[in-house]
Amino acid sequence: MSSQPNGAVVARVAALAVVVVFLQTGIVSEVPIFGVAIDLTPLVVAFVGLQCGSLAGAVVGFGIGLLVDLTLVQTLGLTSLIFTMIGYGAGRLRELRDPRAALTPLLVGAAAAATSMIGYSVMEIALGVDAPVSLELLRQIIVGVALDTVVALPVWALVHRWLAPSLPEDPRQRRRSRRAYTTGGLSPLSKA
Amino acid sequence: MHDKTARRRRAVLVALVALSLILLTAYFGESPNGRLHSVQRGFLTVVSPIQKGANAALKPVRNLFGWFGNALHAKHQLAEVRKQNNRLRAELLTRIDDERGYKQLLRLYKLDGGLHLSDYRPVTAEVIGQPANLWYSTVNIDKGSSAGVQVNDPVVDGEGLIGKVTTTAPDGAQVSLITDSAVAVAAMINETGAPGMVYPKVGEPNTLVIRYLPANTPVSVGNYVVTSGTISSKGPSLFPRGIPIGQVSSVGEEAPYKTVEIHPLANLRGLETVQVLTAAPGSAPAQASRVAAALPPEQSSEAAGGTNASQLASAGSGG
Repeated sequence: MSSQPNGAVVARVAALAVVVVFLQTGIVSEVPIFGVAIDLTPLVVAFVGLQCGSLAGAVVGFGIGLLVDLTLVQTLGLTSLIFTMIGYGAGRLRELRDPRAALTPLLVGAAAAATSMIGYSVMEIALGVDAPVSLELLRQIIVGVALDTVVALPVWALVHRWLAPSLPEDPRQRRRSRRAYTTGGLSPLSKA
Repeated sequence: MHDKTARRRRAVLVALVALSLILLTAYFGESPNGRLHSVQRGFLTVVSPIQKGANAALKPVRNLFGWFGNALHAKHQLAEVRKQNNRLRAELLTRIDDERGYKQLLRLYKLDGGLHLSDYRPVTAEVIGQPANLWYSTVNIDKGSSAGVQVNDPVVDGEGLIGKVTTTAPDGAQVSLITDSAVAVAAMINETGAPGMVYPKVGEPNTLVIRYLPANTPVSVGNYVVTSGTISSKGPSLFPRGIPIGQVSSVGEEAPYKTVEIHPLANLRGLETVQVLTAAPGSAPAQASRVAAALPPEQSSEAAGGTNASQLASAGSGG
């Protein structure tokens, strides 16, 4: 993402944030699978970070977290804190490693879900909520991470498709394409 | 250039983390009537109609997903329900006869002027929001103070008790479920009348528990637990008598007490339509609710059917 985000990107990211929060609280949370609901919000935050970079990831994470806390009348600032870290972490992964493997979104999704659930648990315990670690809690975390991992690839595909048209072309991607072209790998002529 | 970008990135991260921590600290430290809570209530007022509209528009999608789950669940329960139906039919005949005698006794002792459902005006509401994580046992509903919903009003569905209202806005409210650590309910074993307080089991968000029942209390697995309506002779609970809460799933003996685990009857993770039992003005529940709402949060939450609210309620109602 460029250092100055253009209006189209901001609008698309804002729309994505609002839609995912309403979709999550209004539908997805009410359809439990094995007693646990899929949580799309950390996935979307991580994928925005993975596609747009750490700065955008952190800002979007904070925004979505605040929206979740306000909508669900939860402890204000808790989700923002966790999602800021998730968005920033995913963005840094892109900036430092530039992972291109097809399974990267799957691993990033799993890590985001695990960070979100474990982060909540740690913060709630730190805030004095009366719920120590138990087997049931562990089961819910494991099932929750597994479910989020299962839906990570389709969610990544949707987020990528939604944001890609408004993002400037990544210079690294351009260099890669040029190199492949000059070595014959992706030459349109080679396809003829 | 690179250094400048890196510095800006770190500065934004630090600012966002600091802002989150400031919000967290301020929110945790302030009273429920504080500024941030007011902002949250204001936001709830704004988003409730939007959530309601989105909820209605997307209901077919949710129903489709829910249908698969319900079909599997229903198949599993069918055989069990058939057996239960046969047993209940036999019991019903006996109960009808018992009920007739019971009503005569009530009239005889003039006990029917106490807390009844006739003191409540049920308000039907749709669930429009639910958190995904298990740390919050709450749901948002689409009816609020403009429909007469008030803090501490009991909430039920077709299966039994759901929880109580903890925050209201004009067109929406937040309900804390009975599995929330802040809710306790005065209850009794339906078969024996043994009283106790129902709490969520710590660490197991889908299980309730009655602690410190005397060891000689007759209770067995499969018994039903209902709201007792009162926790002492001094005053009424916020929850009316006789609402089903759950079924006893295990009984632990820890002399000199028993600990009873309860599986809630209501499916608290798949709520759609609920009823808020709003109290008629001037009725005993309205007074109990008003007094409980005036208590500090740690006392009023404990006393959803608890001692403080009950005693104060009885004082407030002149009892």
